[in-house]
Amino acid sequence: MPEYKSVTVTKGRGGWGGPLTVTPTDDKPLIYSVTGGGIHPVAQRIADLTGGEPFDGFKSSAPFDKIAVAVIDCGGTARVGVYPMKKVLTVDIHATSPSGPLASFITEELFVSGVKAEDVQEA
Amino acid sequence: MTTADPEQTTSSTVYESAVTQVGAQVELFLEHGILIFFGAGAPAELHDMSVLHAATSAEDGPRPGDTITVGDTSLEILAVGSVVRDNLLNLGHLDLKADGRTDPKLPGDVCVRTGPLPTLAVGDAFRITRPQET
Repeated sequence: MPEYKSVTVTKGRGGWGGPLTVTPTDDKPLIYSVTGGGIHPVAQRIADLTGGEPFDGFKSSAPFDKIAVAVIDCGGTARVGVYPMKKVLTVDIHATSPSGPLASFITEELFVSGVKAEDVQEA
Repeated sequence: MTTADPEQTTSSTVYESAVTQVGAQVELFLEHGILIFFGAGAPAELHDMSVLHAATSAEDGPRPGDTITVGDTSLEILAVGSVVRDNLLNLGHLDLKADGRTDPKLPGDVCVRTGPLPTLAVGDAFRITRPQET
């Protein structure tokens, strides 16, 4: 069984929310990248530092309860709400704030935005 | 179903697709003047809120002044957010907002005039055309 470590994800320039502490577990091992162009570097860094398993949401589907954190490149309407609505920790690489029809689900405890790779640090 | 496009002779198509699935929550977003598109390969959790589609041509993202056609409705694009092109070309993703804005509120927004957006069905067109530069 892999040993998992924790990371702290802080908001980047112009970002909102967090900081989030991400700790994969055997039950929730996936670092879920729902981004264009494969595993995003932010997701890869979280996976590298925590020992979690990078997973490309556009290649295959994952059970929701396996996701430790979702990394998105959302422009502010859809994905920013979907994952927090399901209580999944969510990292948006774009500097979005709560908005859209699902805004009420987006909280500082669940969501952080404007994140670059250097905003992910060992906890 | 397809109507003659009066701009056919003076515009070029930069994105051409057809609807493959309409999610159960799409109507709720329509009430907010929002239509969310994703490519058919999008993860399952996004299907409910999205119109899924399969592109046959994806040359460019939209620009202000282009025309977006959804079903039988053609609308002039007023504003385009900074991440729209990447999202559309990478993921087939686009957030269409009937908010009348000429500066996009969110980086993923494609803004058109206020007013109703159409209810889409499988097989409907999702197309972006650009006036030909003269």
